[in-house]
Amino acid sequence: MTRSIIKIKTTFLDHQIAQLSAIAIGLSLIESVLPSPMPGVKPGIANIITLYAIYHFNFKTAMWVSILRVFASSLILGQFFSPTFMLSLTGSVFSLLTLYFAIKLPSKFFSPISFSIISSFAHIGGQLLLVRIWLIPHASIYYLIPIYSLAALIFGFINGWLTYRLLKDHNSL
Amino acid sequence: MKSRTKFFFGDSLIILISLIFIFFTFKNFWHFETGSVVQVNFQGKIYGNFSLFQDRKISLIGNEGESIIEIKSGRTRFKSAPCRNQYCIQQGWIHFTGQMLICIPNELSIEILGKTKAYDSLNY
Repeated sequence: MTRSIIKIKTTFLDHQIAQLSAIAIGLSLIESVLPSPMPGVKPGIANIITLYAIYHFNFKTAMWVSILRVFASSLILGQFFSPTFMLSLTGSVFSLLTLYFAIKLPSKFFSPISFSIISSFAHIGGQLLLVRIWLIPHASIYYLIPIYSLAALIFGFINGWLTYRLLKDHNSL
Repeated sequence: MKSRTKFFFGDSLIILISLIFIFFTFKNFWHFETGSVVQVNFQGKIYGNFSLFQDRKISLIGNEGESIIEIKSGRTRFKSAPCRNQYCIQQGWIHFTGQMLICIPNELSIEILGKTKAYDSLNY
């Protein structure tokens, strides 16, 4: 019996995406063991990698990293196709869509901190929209908007600052 | 070597806009206005609306016994109830619109009325 070896041709970009995704998945897993004050308030440290990929490479890489991270971390945590996964995916898609337009802003005035805050707001916005439509179809979740917005600002700022420092150290700003 | 964080004009703009947004969401979604009228529901019917600024005690005799509702200086509470658990009394005073106290054994509930109702309907 002849042994058949299936080999997929990979490019340098594929390796970069894989490496960045691996870091992002690791960060997601670390984050999942951290206690959260209330459901939905999470630091979202994996977004540092998404932002880093946008600056260091391009938007397409960042998109791959973000989506792969969502799928892989949910598979590892056993949340695949659960509401948690759906919320995570929605949040990522919304924040990527917003970032796609946000990165067109002049980099002279806007640093990763801005993009991090914008993307975390888009993330929680998308998630709240999904919760409102699908999980809790009741107007009472509007009470949570202020808390989530505040968390988005704080964690968005921290993540953005970390990304800024990271990019500065890697001379890609 | 310590790298100094550069000041970005856009960042402060974004943070400012976010802060304004958060401030307005807090103001819009977390407004607790003080009510002025309390509605008393007794045995599935509206017993009456009473002003919170007129101190009075309302005594109602239901299936279990006598419940006394007290209205005092813009607030209201259950003063005494015939039931064993006394949940309605332990809830204390209420004065924000939409807040309500319910005494299930005696089929009695009181609700502070506002511009919008907090609950669509209640049934025993």
